[in-house]
Amino acid sequence: MKTLPVVKVFFLFMLMTAAVASAAEIDTIEQLTQAYGDGACGTCHEKIHGEWTKSMHSRSVVHSLGGMRNFIVFGLERDWKKPVDKENLMRCMHCHAPLLEYASESLVRKIGGMIVSASGGDEAAKKELARLNVNCIVCHNTVAVVEKNLRGLPKKGVYYGTSGSPTQAHGTEKTPALSSPSFCGRCHWLYTPPDGDTLYCNTLYGSYQDSYRAGGGPATCQDCHMRKKGAGHSFPGAYNEEMVREGIQMEVRVDGARMRPGKAVPTAVIAIGLINKAGHRIPDG
Amino acid sequence: MDVTARTDDGRTIAIGSREYREVGLDLEGNERLGAWQIKEILDLSLQPGKKKEEVFLAEFPPEVKTAEIGVRLKYIVSEGHEHEVHNVLKRVSFSR
Ligand code: HEC
Ligand code: HEC
Ligand code: HEC
Ligand code: HEC
Ligand code: HEC
Repeated sequence: MKTLPVVKVFFLFMLMTAAVASAAEIDTIEQLTQAYGDGACGTCHEKIHGEWTKSMHSRSVVHSLGGMRNFIVFGLERDWKKPVDKENLMRCMHCHAPLLEYASESLVRKIGGMIVSASGGDEAAKKELARLNVNCIVCHNTVAVVEKNLRGLPKKGVYYGTSGSPTQAHGTEKTPALSSPSFCGRCHWLYTPPDGDTLYCNTLYGSYQDSYRAGGGPATCQDCHMRKKGAGHSFPGAYNEEMVREGIQMEVRVDGARMRPGKAVPTAVIAIGLINKAGHRIPDG
Repeated sequence: MDVTARTDDGRTIAIGSREYREVGLDLEGNERLGAWQIKEILDLSLQPGKKKEEVFLAEFPPEVKTAEIGVRLKYIVSEGHEHEVHNVLKRVSFSR
């Protein structure tokens, strides 16, 4: 039990940062990462942190920079003639960087400007934006409660998981959400912003429910993208060659004949079968 | 997916190709790429748990005795990122 005091001190520290974050408006990316960053998690959850760093979730803004710039420049400014403000940017950030919910109006507006300059080649802006992503705190706190009216808002400093195993490092709570596909569906499905419009970025969850589950498919998103082959938090997808190869099987049968009576035209009959072994359409988007 | 043939006398012939994808349409029915513009999806992708069967008939000049049929499946993830998923070669003979 020699390590106990150290852990206790850490616990206090976590509570304090949470308190500071809620007291003051978050006005810089630095403040946001101080309060909601993944930095501290990596010291104890080293393996998971390493896997996550390789995943798309850790690059969910910089990887989609061009598309976001187009939304700002062509969508908001040219076509809609609307301000590049928090309400409008959250149409994308609701999934690509949900932590911006905690940021001030002026910080989100500033980030809008940084997206445009970063996609124009400003490396310093890009480096700053790389700190915005779908990190540990997003999944294990911010979006971890699926039925908020029933179960309450996520509690600060409590990390929700599948087991809720207690630790002195931080609060934990068991939730069925983390092993449910609907948890992934929050971001991998149709989005309805507060104005009631609809936004189609990535709608795989719909295909999962209506085609895969409807056809008797038994696996969850977590089974294929986390548990299989110990992929854990690296969330392999379309950029992973092995994953794609396992997802599509191909059968080829070829037969030869001389067709057309009297002419004997050499003819090949090529029959190809493509079988989708994934839990949703291939490809998506 | 591209289907080609190489005949015994050394010619390469394109037989056919197929594309599977999801097409995003705006309210007016134009194909769009922007997430904010898409309001409808025309799903031309491969469906889960289903087998998509394609049959191609390829005719060759009379002197061709055998050919090697190549079926190549390519997955284009995004601009600059693609992988070859399968590449199958099968020999076919036209005389028994
Ligand atoms: C409901 C959640 C959600 C919303 C809202 C959302 N996205 Fe996405 N977006 C995703 C997910 C999930 C992916 C990853 C899909 C994949 O790789 O299959 C993605 C992928 C992308 C990509 C493609 C990256 C690539 O090259 O593979 C771009 C670009 C993008 N989003 C831009 C936007 C823009 C612009 C907006 C706002 C107008 C937006 N998204 C709103 C969830 C969302
Ligand atoms: C995209 C959402 C997502 C992100 C980001 C994420 N996790 Fe997880 N995490 C999950 C899910 C879902 C599970 C449950 C996996 C399962 O059911 O097999 C999980 C499981 C865990 C567990 C194990 C608990 C258990 O029940 O096995 C720990 C610990 C954990 N995550 C820590 C982290 C840390 C640390 C980070 C950041 C480096 C992180 N997670 C980032 C979704 C996420
Ligand atoms: C001082 C070490 C330490 C730090 C720092 C730490 N954790 Fe943990 N965490 C643990 C231990 C120990 C457990 C319990 C055993 C386990 O599941 O790994 C745990 C468990 C968890 C679980 C699993 C809960 C469950 O239901 O199974 C999650 C999720 C989690 N931590 C997330 C985080 C996140 C997010 C951070 C960063 C904000 C973080 N942890 C920082 C030590 C730490
Ligand atoms: C908070 C939102 C959010 C949640 C929750 C979430 N994702 Fe994602 N996910 C994203 C975004 C955003 C991207 C794409 C980033 C990009 O490409 O710019 C992504 C990317 C991915 C990718 C990589 C896609 C590719 O093209 O290779 C996989 C796989 C994935 N997510 C699976 C899952 C699974 C499984 C879950 C549930 C356990 C989950 N995600 C939960 C937002 C989320
Ligand atoms: C039966 C296994 C299986 C299940 C269940 C499954 N997936 Fe996948 N997923 C795959 C395979 C295989 C691929 C790679 C082929 C591809 O890119 O479509 C993939 C690809 C993806 C991609 C990248 C798609 C693209 O085209 O960019 C995302 C995102 C994703 N899955 C998310 C999810 C989510 C979210 C769920 C649950 C709603 C889920 N998956 C359920 C096997 C599965």
